[in-house]
Order: sequence, then structure tokens, then C-alpha cells
Amino acid sequence: MKRDQSNHQSLGSPTNRKVKEARILMVGAGGIGCELLKNLVLTGFGEIHVVDLDTIDLSNLNRQFLFRHEHIKKSKALVAKEAAHAFNPSVKLVAHHANIKDPEFNVSWFKGFTMVFNALDNLEARRHVNKMCLAADVPLIESGTTGFNGQVQVIKKGVTACYDCAPKETPKSFPVCTIRSTPSQPIHCIVWGKSYLLSEILGASEDESAEMDHSEDSENAKEIEKLRQESQALKKIREAMGTPSFPQLLFDKVYKDDITRLRSMEEMWKTRRPPEPLNYDGIIEKAVDVETSKDKILKDGQRVWNLEENVIVFKDSLERLSKRMAEMQSSANGHSAEPVITFDKDDDDTLDFVTASANLRSIVFGIETKSRFDIKQMAGNIIPAIATTNAIVAGLCVLQSFKVLRGDFSSTKEIFLSPFAPQRLLSSDKYRPPRADCPVCSVAQAQLLIDISRATLNDLVENFLRLELGYGEEIVVNHGDALLYDVEETDNLTKKLSDLGIKGDSFLTIIDEDDVNPRVNLVLNVQESTIPDDSPVKGLDFPPPHNADEPASPIPRRKKAIPQTNGHSTLENQPSAQSTKVPATNGNTSTLISSGSKRSVAEIEDPEAPNKKQKIQSNGASKDETIVLDDTVEHAIIIDDD
Amino acid sequence: MALCQNRLQEERKQWRRDHPFGFYAKPQRNAQGVLDLKVWECGIPGKDKTLWEGGLFKLNVIFPDEYPTKPPKCTRLLRPSRCEADSTGKFVPPLFHPNVYPSGTVCLSILNEEEGWKPAITIKQILLGVQDLLDDPNPDSPAQADAYNLFKKDRAAYENKIKRIVRDNPAP
Ligand SMILES: [Zn+2]
Repeated sequence: MKRDQSNHQSLGSPTNRKVKEARILMVGAGGIGCELLKNLVLTGFGEIHVVDLDTIDLSNLNRQFLFRHEHIKKSKALVAKEAAHAFNPSVKLVAHHANIKDPEFNVSWFKGFTMVFNALDNLEARRHVNKMCLAADVPLIESGTTGFNGQVQVIKKGVTACYDCAPKETPKSFPVCTIRSTPSQPIHCIVWGKSYLLSEILGASEDESAEMDHSEDSENAKEIEKLRQESQALKKIREAMGTPSFPQLLFDKVYKDDITRLRSMEEMWKTRRPPEPLNYDGIIEKAVDVETSKDKILKDGQRVWNLEENVIVFKDSLERLSKRMAEMQSSANGHSAEPVITFDKDDDDTLDFVTASANLRSIVFGIETKSRFDIKQMAGNIIPAIATTNAIVAGLCVLQSFKVLRGDFSSTKEIFLSPFAPQRLLSSDKYRPPRADCPVCSVAQAQLLIDISRATLNDLVENFLRLELGYGEEIVVNHGDALLYDVEETDNLTKKLSDLGIKGDSFLTIIDEDDVNPRVNLVLNVQESTIPDDSPVKGLDFPPPHNADEPASPIPRRKKAIPQTNGHSTLENQPSAQSTKVPATNGNTSTLISSGSKRSVAEIEDPEAPNKKQKIQSNGASKDETIVLDDTVEHAIIIDDD
Repeated sequence: MALCQNRLQEERKQWRRDHPFGFYAKPQRNAQGVLDLKVWECGIPGKDKTLWEGGLFKLNVIFPDEYPTKPPKCTRLLRPSRCEADSTGKFVPPLFHPNVYPSGTVCLSILNEEEGWKPAITIKQILLGVQDLLDDPNPDSPAQADAYNLFKKDRAAYENKIKRIVRDNPAP
């Protein structure tokens, strides 16, 4: 019997032939990726490219079954390719140990594939592939799992909703005030230990506070001096890293001096229990016995440590980290980048430090302390990765891919795997149409050839957009976060595009600010080229004129927005739905804005807190679990499934 | 992402068409001299008939990728006389105010995701809110000890100090 006999019978000969001729890109070779690659190879897809940046970790082996113990630290893409090749040697496999956002994977490269599968674990990469597939007009099968829940969605430009059509949950963040001054739950102290203290000590150092401006009057000078001292204090403590006094210096600053100062703001503690500073020497005296059984404590991560034990772990983990830092500094050997250590839930030194420092802060504020095991879960936002979920989702992806190969997008489905939902284990919906005002897929897309050696912004704005495409006076040219041109920003017009950071594969967004009948946003994917004729800027594959009355404008006009009776509540319910409709302010500012953080006592006490905690513990997939501190650039990890 | 940039562009357009007298708000230039839509520099005048009248205070407003789902961060509410120092990475003192952190971050309920932030709030509303806060500090959310303690314990000294700060930071 021929290997593809069953496929032949179940799919029919035309589809089976398409399978064999298909060129597939799979992005991500982790939990879903391993399952999916096995399925793709066994189904007999002709050529499969695998892109993954990661290397294999011990913790992957329980579910990413293409990997074995001897593969640890090797490239996921390469090992997955080798392992899957054995299943079906007739499939051509190509592995890329690289980041999908690398410039080599440009729009033309994406265009070379029949279909793309996302098997990713993070929002940013998913958004990127979504954008690239829309630009290249290649169908994308998007999938994801969170614990026992999973989801599969087919994305085809102009036919289905794209990944960004629906607003995405953003990780929860806590107010800075709560984290820095008024913690009331264990998680507040954990976030403080992880995102503030650890990075203050082991992260990139803050601005160097250098000379003061002495022209100030005397009282100002006094205040400046005080602030300078405050910031110098932590810097000085950092400098003491590696010396025997380092743990006590840090301890005294954050658990004694800072707390004493905080306590002096009496008003703050009228409705709350004031924090109690800790005395390092006193605790250490009592902890002599504890210190001798240090190793035993460190092995016992399931038990909640007491005050003395936490202090010993604080001291010990800080010494371990200081030693590592010193080693990193000496091996960096004066090279420019300063070494940093960041939190990793699998890095025992950082986990011990965060556990002890969070618990000590909890003790100061009279908050329940937690075991290292619990804190690992909370600090790492661990949602268990389940092999079975991945396997089911990977299988569903392949089933959808047959419809895509047949070009039968109208029968594609959005599938949800939700075992704890009251209705069914698997539910499917008809695909959603694109959202008319989706900022990502409602745009017009085209390629722009530019002669990088001479094209100026003015060539683009005046000659191309205005003269050739018929844009009016009020237009905007954006390059990511950079605003290159609008009616008020004309300084760059004479500059060359290359001097403004534009190169091959850059994306430019043209926004029409015309009040009457604006065009949809236009996204231009830049291609470098030498253009022999006069114009250094040239459009490629422009959409045909949308409206016969307007042959001059190939870019469609925006659909009229539905009048809103209540703009505020619409925006609240659909935080990302109203991209371009900012309600004009209408004098009711004062009702909207209250000064300061006025909160009632009930809110401060947070009566919901126990419930929320319950939820986190009982449902690993709860979205409440992902935490980002408001005041940091670091992003939380959502799923431990890479 | 695109949503954030579209909204910021719209904010810029609305601001251009209408903004309160004495205020300014504009994206800052990056190292290449190009405007960065996610980092705005704003100027807030003290309200008339308050202690703060006649002063102008600089505020940096930084927008996260998730804006407008998440609020911007208003930081470095500073004395404009020190703007130069800021750009060279030097230590810059924050505004002397009970609700401004030593880092310069402003503590205001509408800027707090868990409290008053709504995606519909405009930059204009934020800046007017910070202007209100100048003369109407919220003693329930102290952010710096110096200003807070002086405000609570010695109102006359506090007011003298504010007057001096205003004198040092005159509106043009
Ligand atoms: Zn979309």
C-alpha cells in the first residue's frame, strides 16, 4: 500500500496533490509546534520550513516529544527537523534557528509559501506574523493553548478576521502606588521583589546622578541634596555588592530606613495598618541555628519560611547573586555592556531572592507570607502547559489547512477547545469577517519601490502621494512609532528617506486626515531598487481603483462610522475598537477627572481580594494571573509553552 | 502596534485643532531628529487665581504599546528650568508636590488602570487633570514625603515654597 493511500481516499486526489505540492511555513517549534510538525510530515506536506529562535530546555521534554535529554541546549528548529524527518523522509524540511522578526524573513519570503502555521507563545510574534501574512497575502492558521484551553483560527486577507481584529487581553498591571507604598496582598510584595528590588540591584543602573546645578536658591539646593542623597544611597549600596556588609546595607535600606520614612506619612496609615521596620542585627542574632541548617531550608520550598529563615535566604541568595555578578563583570572584562541578572523562575538564585525579599516585605506590612513553590507560580505566571491540549489543537490546525488548500475559505471555522465550559468540549464558529475598522487588516496595502540613494521624503509626499495618488493636504506619514511628516512636521521633507531610517522591508503608514471623506490607511512595504527613470519613488501592485468615480485614487475611502450615542461606554466595552474616533471633549472634563488617587476605604481594603486569590489558585488559566508592574518596561510571560 | 499609533495621531490632530490656552503637547524628537509618537513633552500652566498662577511645568507623557487600553505614564513632572539637564541624563528633581513621586511620576486616579482610566480619556483631559491636581493635592495618596509633610504640618511654609517654585518657572 502506498504511503498516502489513506490521504488519497479521504481527501480526494486533487487535495492530496495540493498537500504534496504545498510549501509550508511553521513558526515556532515548541509545544504546539512539535505536535504540528509531526502531523504535517505524516500528512505528507511537500516542503516545510520551521523557524524557532529557542533552544531546548529540560522543562520542555515532558511534552515537546521531538526532543530528548541529549538535545538540551540545542536549537529547537534543527532538532525538530531531524526528528520529524525520520517519520517521512520524502518531505523536504528546512530549519531556521532564527527570530521570525529578522529582516531576512521579509514580505517576499513570506510570499513564497502556500500557507503559514503559527505555533507561537507570545503576542508580539503572533502580531508580527499576522501583519506579514496580510502584507504577503498568504493564508495563516493561528493557534494557541493555555492550560486545558485551546483555539484555532484561519486568517485570510479580505475574507476572515485577522489576529488583531479582536482586542487582546493585556496583562494585568498594578498601580505604582500600591506596589511602592501600600501593598495589601502577597502578589504586591512579589511584584515589588521581582520587578523593583531585583532590577534595582542587578539590573541596568539608573542615570548617573552627577553634578548639581548650584544656581538654585538655598532651600532648593537643600532639597536637591536630599534627593541626590536618596538616589545615591541605593547606588552606594550597589557599589558594596560582594562585600560582607552588602546584605545588611540593602536590608537596612529597604526594610528599615525606607519603611520608617513611609511610616512618617501618618495620613496614609489612618485606615491601614502602618508598616513595621525590621531590625537586621536582632534577627540575625536569633537566626544562628537557622543559618546552620540553611541547606535544609533551601530544599524545603513547599513550606512557608518564618522571619529568620527568610532573612537567612535573603542574605544567602544575595551573596550567590553578587558572586555571579562579579564573575560576569570580570569575564565581560570592561566591554561596554554592563552585565545584568534578570528574574527567571527556573533560576534558583533569583527565585530564592524574590521569595525572601517578598516575604520580608509582607512581614513588614502584615501580609500573609508564601512558600517558594507558590511564589514561583505567582512570579513566573506559570500556566501549566498540557501536552494533550497541544496535540488536539495541532490536529485541528491540519484539518483547517485542507480547506485552505482547496481555497474553500467560506467553510473555515474558528474552533475553541474548552473542557470546563458548560456546553461542549469543542465548539466551532463560522469564521468572523474582517472588522471594518481593524487598524491592521482594514488598511490598503501596496509595495513601494524606492531608490534608496536619492529618494527624499518630499519625493514620497509631494510627487507620489499627492500627485500620483491624489492625496490632499492633510496627510501623515508614519514609520512605526516615528512620525515623519504631517502638516505641522515638515522639517524632514528635504531629507533622504535613508537618513530617516527607511530601508528595504520598512513599513510606512499613510494616514489621510481629510475631514470629509478620508481614505483608509495605506501601508507601504518598502523595497529597495534602482529606478532608472526620473522618479525615485514608485508604487507596485496598487489595488485597482475602488470607485469608478474616482479613478485618481486607488485607495478606498473609509466606511462611514456608525454614529455613537454614547462614545464613552462603547470605548470602554471595546477598548481597541475605536481607533480613530476620539470623542471631542465637551466641557464635562471636571466630572471625569478627580484629582489625586481618591479611593474609599472599602476599595483600599479590597473586599474582593480573597475571591480573586481563590480564582488564581483554582483556575490556572485565569487571566488574572499575568502581572505587570505599571512602572517597568518589562513584560510578563503569559504561557510557559515555548 | 497600529491601534496605538492611529490613536496618537488622532490625539495630535485634535490637539492641533483645539487646546486650552497656555498648554503645549508635542511628540519629542529621537536621536535621529524624528518625532517619537510614544513620548510627548507637555507644558502645564498653573491655574489662574491659585498659588500656581504664572508658572509653567513640564510633563513627559509616555504611551505604552497597549495604549489606549492602558493609560499613559505621566512622568518627570519637572521644573522647566532643568529640562536641559534631563536630556543629558543628569539627575533632575521632580516637582515639589505631595502627589508626585521622587521619580517624577504623577499619582492621579485617571492615570491608574485600576481606577479612573478609560480609553476615551484624551490628552487634553489628562493635562487639565494634572493642572487641577497642582492646586488641589490629594492627601490620601502621598507620593513624596517632603512635600506631603510640609503640606500637612506647615501650610504657610508650603505655600511660600510653591510661590518660589512658580517664580523660578515662569510661563513665557
Ligand atoms: Zn483585522
